[in-house]
Amino acid sequence: MMMNKRTPIQSVILYTLVISLVLFCVFPFLQILSTSLKHPIDWGNPSLIPRVLHLDAYKELLGLMPAKEIDVPASVQRLLDNPALSAEKKQMLLDKFTSNDEVFAFGRYMLNTFTISFVTGIVSTFLASLAAYAIARLRFPAQSLMANGVLFVYMVGGVLLMVPLYQMSVTVGLASSASGTILSLFLIYLIQTLPVAMYMLGNYFRTIPFSLEEAAMMDGCSRVEAFWRIILPLSKPMLFTVFIYCFVIAWNEYLFASVFLKQYQDFQTLPLALQTLFTSKNAIWDRIMAASMLTLLPVIICFMLANKHLSGGLTDGGVKG
Amino acid sequence: MSSVILRNVNKSYGNLPIVKNLNLEVKDGEFVVLVGPSGCGKSTTLRMVAGLEDITQGDIQIGDRAINDLPPHKRNIAMVFQNYALYPHMSVRENIVFGLKKSGADAETIKTKLADVSEMLKLDEYLDRKPADLSGGQRQRVAMGRALARDADVYLFDEPLSNLDAKLRHHMRTEIARIQHQYNMTAIYVTHDQIEAMTLGDRVVVMRDGIVEQVGSPMEIYLQPANTFVATFIGSPAMNLFEAKVDGEELVFDKYRIPATSIANVDLNVLASHDTVLVGIRPDFFEDSALSLQRSPSDNLFAFDDIQVDLVENLGFDKEIMFTLGGENAKARLDLRSHVQRQETISLSVDLNRVLLFDTSTQGMLINAGEV
Amino acid sequence: MASSILIKNEARLGLKLVAPAIGIIGLLVIYPIFFNVYLSFFDVQLNGSKTFIGLDNYSDLLANPRYYHSIGVSIIYLLGTVIGTTVLGLAAAVLMNQEFHFRNIARGLILLPYFAPVISVVFGWQFIFDPVNGIYNHVVVDVLHLTDTRENLIGNPDSALFVVILFDIWKHFPIAYLLLLAKLQSVPKDLYEAAAIDGQNAWGRFWHVTLPELKFVIATVVLLRIIWNLNRFEDVYLLAPNVETLPIFTYYQAFAGIVDQGGAAAISVIQLLVLVGLIWLYVRKVLKW
Ligand SMILES: Nc1ncnc2c1ncn2[C@@H]1O[C@H](COP(=O)(O)OP(=O)(O)OP(=O)(O)O)[C@@H](O)[C@H]1O
Ligand SMILES: [Mg+2]
Repeated sequence: MMMNKRTPIQSVILYTLVISLVLFCVFPFLQILSTSLKHPIDWGNPSLIPRVLHLDAYKELLGLMPAKEIDVPASVQRLLDNPALSAEKKQMLLDKFTSNDEVFAFGRYMLNTFTISFVTGIVSTFLASLAAYAIARLRFPAQSLMANGVLFVYMVGGVLLMVPLYQMSVTVGLASSASGTILSLFLIYLIQTLPVAMYMLGNYFRTIPFSLEEAAMMDGCSRVEAFWRIILPLSKPMLFTVFIYCFVIAWNEYLFASVFLKQYQDFQTLPLALQTLFTSKNAIWDRIMAASMLTLLPVIICFMLANKHLSGGLTDGGVKG
Repeated sequence: MSSVILRNVNKSYGNLPIVKNLNLEVKDGEFVVLVGPSGCGKSTTLRMVAGLEDITQGDIQIGDRAINDLPPHKRNIAMVFQNYALYPHMSVRENIVFGLKKSGADAETIKTKLADVSEMLKLDEYLDRKPADLSGGQRQRVAMGRALARDADVYLFDEPLSNLDAKLRHHMRTEIARIQHQYNMTAIYVTHDQIEAMTLGDRVVVMRDGIVEQVGSPMEIYLQPANTFVATFIGSPAMNLFEAKVDGEELVFDKYRIPATSIANVDLNVLASHDTVLVGIRPDFFEDSALSLQRSPSDNLFAFDDIQVDLVENLGFDKEIMFTLGGENAKARLDLRSHVQRQETISLSVDLNRVLLFDTSTQGMLINAGEV
Repeated sequence: MASSILIKNEARLGLKLVAPAIGIIGLLVIYPIFFNVYLSFFDVQLNGSKTFIGLDNYSDLLANPRYYHSIGVSIIYLLGTVIGTTVLGLAAAVLMNQEFHFRNIARGLILLPYFAPVISVVFGWQFIFDPVNGIYNHVVVDVLHLTDTRENLIGNPDSALFVVILFDIWKHFPIAYLLLLAKLQSVPKDLYEAAAIDGQNAWGRFWHVTLPELKFVIATVVLLRIIWNLNRFEDVYLLAPNVETLPIFTYYQAFAGIVDQGGAAAISVIQLLVLVGLIWLYVRKVLKW
């Protein structure tokens, strides 16, 4: 296959196939980027290159648009002029008009999504590293049952459990407050990520030579210290990768977010908010595409970082190959 | 420093016994070497002392502390692993001082220890490198340094030199010997290598299948092996064993009749109760009769005449010859000056003071230990 | 046993370390699995009130044509995506195993769909198939003149199913590709040389050398894709909420329109049984425990 020289025809076929495949993969991304930069009049234009560069969508999402002129009705203006009214009340009244429901609070949704994904990633990676270490390295009752059970739980996934999980949170009373709802959602994201994280980390820990821990114990470390001072630092690239994995799972999640956060608009995550924006009347392609672009970027950057980090191969060299 | 005592120590994996009823006392400041064939339980024994393996039965004591239930990190033991086990994410310097820091040594002590160790092991120029950037020999030295920097009660070595080439191994061996004498450390050292065993050990423990076959100084093990296993395991090439008939006061095999009375420490009464015995002669104890070597009056020579030489291997300083004696293939190591040729018929002499007798059935030695 | 204290300490530490993770999984996965079975025998309201109705949920479900329809949709979805991702993954793996310029860049680029969040790409796909502005209709109607009318492919559940399948293949073939490429790179070169000496052409070498070597990985990919896609929700729902695969049907039952949480629980119970069967198959046949 690779050993003989290709004829020109074979080369042409090969490059055609490669280019088609790559185009198939990246075309939707190019489409998103292109549309996000196009003016509405330009949408029907099949070319990917915008006739004029139109950055309003980004500006709007990132809150860089100049504030709109506010038309305060005369009746309200009269109220505002009333000296009996406290300054606080006046401000509230004014806010009612300045606050613009049309504006898509992209920044807030981004922050919501980022916060819950970040916390999920950190907590999940942390708990999973403890459990995975124990399962991979320590002898205790039911250890192999747990090792195999993790794989099972990993495959069951959350979709099948939407009813019982929702009912549980209702029964416990978590679903009736905003903070309880967010806690429920966080716990659900935790179980959607924990099994994967445990599985990945368990496999990784098994590749670290046992003698490193033994050496640490000889150097006066307890088991826990050996884990903390040798295994964890050695696993940094993998921990980072697992964190990213969990982060992205939470970042993507729609099902439970839609169930739990429907009534709490201020706490909605991006998938939910974008879907709402899309189905609402004023669906505007450029805004949606710009929002897609902005949700895409951090993830792409994360994966590029994780990839680079992974190729370090830290365990080389400390132990004879 | 402390002594180490193993009392009736047993280790099994499931029902499979690996170490059987092991008793050993390593004295304070003593360097004990464990040797034995692969899989005989040397590492397991060492790891039980370290606490990395639990003890199925018996007791281990360091100094006057029973340590059976003490976790490894509380035993104050330093260990050098066969595969180095350096911390890949730390520099050489950090690797060496890790244990010291852990034990709460002050900055001054750490500095002097680090300087000591890196000078002794010639690690100065590598201190800032990561283990991945070192050669095998350098890594081994770091592993050694990491253990030696510690102020441990006991030092354990599990085949620390087995991954090195011959030259480096020789260098490290002499280094270890020097360090041992300098610090007078209590150490248990596992090795496959007989030269390491002979040169490093104050005492040598020979193990087989989880059982201690003999404990003694290197010369005792060499000259007074307790049985044929020890006799053939220690020494290279291995000791020749010939089965001989006991005929009154003579031992007969092939066409040779050896006067048993001339063999050192022989008890004729014991001999009389045996029909046959095994005669053990180390290849080194043969001499070419044609060479007029200087003799001492105590020498007690016996000549095997009419030996047909099958093969001669020149090793430089000496030469090994192979021949057939009493129906067995045998080897002798002769002096450089000997001019024997293949197919030649020669005469080999042996100092009967060095000849050993073993029981044919029990394989145990038949001679009471004499002077070494 | 003299030294069982060390063993006990180790066991205690082990249990301590797994406790939080296993506790959470037990409480929020294992318990809900059984709670789900329990709920499937009740008429359950969103506010949590329940009335026992025995097997009614199951009999209602089995009499519900929408259920069978969603099973049908799920089967087509599974067939399409599993075959599609495996074949495209295999083709990509063979292709990327050749040597050519910019191979590393190409290898990186084709992983993009897999890494991108669903929410960031579904609207791009919506736009591609948009009846007014989309490139699809532009090509089909204006360039190729295959039909005269611009169609709303995603608006129609039947055609939307195929868009959803295509989207899933696009999004998930990279993982099949990665698994297959890893295996492909470990196929010994001399096998190919031997086959070449035996007079096999490129196709023969693929058929007689590559495929047999990959058999095991392909089986893994197929089974894993079935297991994952049986539960897939976001990728379908966000792109085309009108394509009712089983998870989406369950979602509608549980949270939309006339809420029937007990019925949704019943669907999940049945689906879980199928899934357990598949996982068992995976564990037995592929992982060979
Ligand atoms: N975890 C285990 N389970 C079962 N048997 C084991 C285990 N670890 C070691 N053994 C067995 O115990 C025996 C002794 O092993 P040990 O490592 O102590 O040998 P050794 O003398 O150090 O050999 P070598 O010189 O090859 O290192 C071997 O037969 C080995 O197969
Ligand atoms: Mg060993």
